[in-house]
Amino acid sequence: MRGMCVALGVLVACLCCPGSATAQQDLDALLEQSFKQAAALLNPSIVQIQTVGGLDRVAGVVTGTGPTTGVVVSEDGFIVSSAFNFAAKPASILVNLPDGRRLPARLVANDHAAKITLLKIEADNLLPAKPAPRDAFRVGQWSLALGRTYTNAFPSVSVGIISALDRAWGRAVQTDAKVSPVNYGGPLATIDGKVFGILVPLSPRGQTETAGVEWYDSGIGFAIPLVDVYRVLDRLKQGENLKPGLMGINFEGRDQFGPATIGMVRPASPAAEAGLKKGDRITMIDNAPIERKSHVRYALGRKYAGDMIRLKARRNDQEISVQVTLTDKLLDYQVPYLGLLPERADKVQDSATDGVVVRYVFPQSPAAQAGLMKRDRITAIAGKPVTDSASLMRALGGMAPDDKVSLSFTRQDKVQSLELTLGALPDTIPGELPTVSIPPVERADAKAADPQVGRFTVELPAHQHSYWAYVPPDYNPDFQYGLMVWLHPTGDTMEAAIMRLWKSVCARRNLMIIAPKAGNPRGWNPAESVFVKAAVEDFVEQYPIDRSRVFVHGYATGGVFALSLLFKERELFAGAAVASATLRTPPPPNTPDYRIQLHFNSGSADADHARVARTVEGLRKMKYPVSFAIAKDRSKKYPSQEDVREIGRWADSLDRI
Amino acid sequence: MNTVQNHSWRCRRNWLVVLAALAAAGPTTHAARAASPAIESTLPRIVKIFGAGGIRNLYSYSTGFLVSAEGHVATVWSHVLDADSVAVVLNDGRRFEATVLGAEPQLDLAVIKLQTEAKDFPFFDLKQAVEVGPGTRILGFSNMFKVATGDEPVSVLHGVVAARTKLTTRRGAFETAYQGSVYVVDAITNNPGAGGGILTTRTGQLVGMIGKELQNAQSNTWINYAIPIDELRETVGEIISGRFKRSDDKPQPESMVANYRPLDFGLVMVPDVLFRTPAFIDSVVRSSDAHKAGLQANDLVMFANDELVQSCRSLKKELGRLEAGDTLRLIVRRDNQLVSVELQVPRKPKP
Repeated sequence: MRGMCVALGVLVACLCCPGSATAQQDLDALLEQSFKQAAALLNPSIVQIQTVGGLDRVAGVVTGTGPTTGVVVSEDGFIVSSAFNFAAKPASILVNLPDGRRLPARLVANDHAAKITLLKIEADNLLPAKPAPRDAFRVGQWSLALGRTYTNAFPSVSVGIISALDRAWGRAVQTDAKVSPVNYGGPLATIDGKVFGILVPLSPRGQTETAGVEWYDSGIGFAIPLVDVYRVLDRLKQGENLKPGLMGINFEGRDQFGPATIGMVRPASPAAEAGLKKGDRITMIDNAPIERKSHVRYALGRKYAGDMIRLKARRNDQEISVQVTLTDKLLDYQVPYLGLLPERADKVQDSATDGVVVRYVFPQSPAAQAGLMKRDRITAIAGKPVTDSASLMRALGGMAPDDKVSLSFTRQDKVQSLELTLGALPDTIPGELPTVSIPPVERADAKAADPQVGRFTVELPAHQHSYWAYVPPDYNPDFQYGLMVWLHPTGDTMEAAIMRLWKSVCARRNLMIIAPKAGNPRGWNPAESVFVKAAVEDFVEQYPIDRSRVFVHGYATGGVFALSLLFKERELFAGAAVASATLRTPPPPNTPDYRIQLHFNSGSADADHARVARTVEGLRKMKYPVSFAIAKDRSKKYPSQEDVREIGRWADSLDRI
Repeated sequence: MNTVQNHSWRCRRNWLVVLAALAAAGPTTHAARAASPAIESTLPRIVKIFGAGGIRNLYSYSTGFLVSAEGHVATVWSHVLDADSVAVVLNDGRRFEATVLGAEPQLDLAVIKLQTEAKDFPFFDLKQAVEVGPGTRILGFSNMFKVATGDEPVSVLHGVVAARTKLTTRRGAFETAYQGSVYVVDAITNNPGAGGGILTTRTGQLVGMIGKELQNAQSNTWINYAIPIDELRETVGEIISGRFKRSDDKPQPESMVANYRPLDFGLVMVPDVLFRTPAFIDSVVRSSDAHKAGLQANDLVMFANDELVQSCRSLKKELGRLEAGDTLRLIVRRDNQLVSVELQVPRKPKP
């Protein structure tokens, strides 16, 4: 340590005389010396971990079986590591200490929010790593990513700087040192041998233990501050598994930068118990002032289930102050349902702003039972005015099935109202569904400037990809159409088959198709979601598409990609209809922020049938509205014409309310 | 700069004057406008190699470094050299034909000779190469991705040595013939075409030769490494002097025939149903060697002869390697204890 101080002293001295080549060389030499000394200083606190048995794949990623790294956090044998290293659920864990001792370890607890695992070995007199204080973290500081996977002799070293603080809603620091399975679980060290944090794979979007691995060695690495780990160490030592803390509110509107006004308080949630209400605007959490929605996420980012927060909000002209104890699980959100189809907006009638005209009432639905009828114009729900079907859906989003609500409507110019009990968006596809007839447009003398019709191919040069599309030749630009985004299976775009089966369905159900092509015939790459998104945006700009009826459709591997895409891009897609496809990663919980519907189709003789059924069951358990069509005795095949008509009905009822 | 009185700097100054003169003489040469004399003196000794490939995603270029004044170039042994002759482009844009003088696949090493009578090439004296440890700052020089077109110098990267290790310590992790130690680095050095490039210290001392692209089959990640010069020095010398004999020409040891199974020691393992079934002992045959050594049902075999046993399958592989007369050292986990036993490998496995 003394050598260290001297070295740093000289370092500083050198910094004072820039421009001299000697000084530069000495500075470089000293810097290098500091890297080595930091690693040597931390050496006794870094252990190697070996695991035996377990899964070979987690969330589609081949899991490592090589040794991994851990950091000593107590004299008596507590060790933290990245949860990534234990995602494969190993049968047995061994710890190799730097002094050569090899000891069996026990998994004590997991911090599911920070993706950290605590282990225990029976050993004494270990040297716990010293955390660097959080208020000393600075962007641009040297940072060393240390691991102990290659040899047990000395830690492996990668050098970088701190790239950012407070990533992942305040949970992590970012570094450009190379972070990979070689050092996950190891320390990100300061140049004087303290620890910024524990290296973990992290993705701002993914939630699984392996999310973020695809960024290995990229110069984008993350570490969970060790001070934060020490803060919850006692709870972990007790065997308590820590989970992210949830309050149970959804905001009004999707704009991240908008005010933190509550749009919905989830039933039986901590927010509900604390007495928070829809319309309250959050102004303060603990001591952090809140101006925007994102501030709330930062304020809660490092909180765990069981933590208590003090919250202030404005309700009308009053300030209210409550205490909220966060939870790890909310009741699953279920989309409430009236049981009607709204009249669709079109340019001729100029999108309605004076209510929702009922186009169809589903038999036996809550709306039917309450006596609502076709051509009634709904003008208000629960006392709040309804302007169009989007506003009706939004208002319903803040309610729950079994809620009793009042509806105001006009029937033959008379204002009426009724009470009804909300249902839940059903798990079935209507057997009968009225069609909307759109007056066709003859295009005998199409001009070159007109949007293309029929089947055609579009190149997206910025993405080095192309997609083919189908637009009914007689489509009417004054009316809105649904959009199917077809994702082909591995090795076959199925263009001819899709056209043969879907052309008549497109005409009847007012659909258009776009079909992005995978860059590699061997299959879809998760990163291609960017291109699919761009293809949809490109198309929607040119054709009259109803955004509430844009859905992904895929078969086999295309279906797997469709499902992952749906849950990744919930702002873009209203649903997914897939055949012979399963969900590979756990979906996010259903939320009123997005209205998602799913349809699965599988053959009972398909080798994947049982897995498809399990996926459906899992999604239904999470209260997603999922319909499931089983084709008797069909092996792995694309759905029949009859099944395709059914998917068409499903697509045409995506705007049911 | 003129006021510098540093010793090593002065030694190199003459050299630089020459270089500077060269750069001034020919407007076609790319003067290396480098921040450090180390880089300026290293670049002229690196060459770009263009040879076979170019189809089915195989790249047709790689890197090499001059190891003699007569134009011997050490490089990585790869498909790029799979041609009657290859083209070598020097840092100053001169282009030579070259032929393979000799190769040692076990070291991923080849030496090629430029077809010229010139004897004044700048080169690395392999005896001057240094050994370094983790944390040492390094520079990587290579023709990666063929970024350097025409007579442009190769690309220079920087990083630190992450570790010196053997790729084979984790058996089966890497598909490579090379058995020796490597420097793992934290710069992304091992790219297409980078093989045969070099690592130096920040002061320009030769450290290692950048190897082929290699993926770790266990963690599914690519590794960045270089083969230390001390592993290559002797063979390079032998190839140049013509005394060299390839290891694959030498007689190979007989392939292993003995195939011991757990039962040969009296161990009955749990049924191997998963890809990674942990190697739990299901039962121990009464009065067998294993029984006498005190092994018990439910013991988990963790190590066999110091190799981590990750599954029933890897235990079987490990036992397959044994020969009659060997000692089998097993470490098992029983409850929360590690227990070590030694067993004699019987003369003949039971059929």
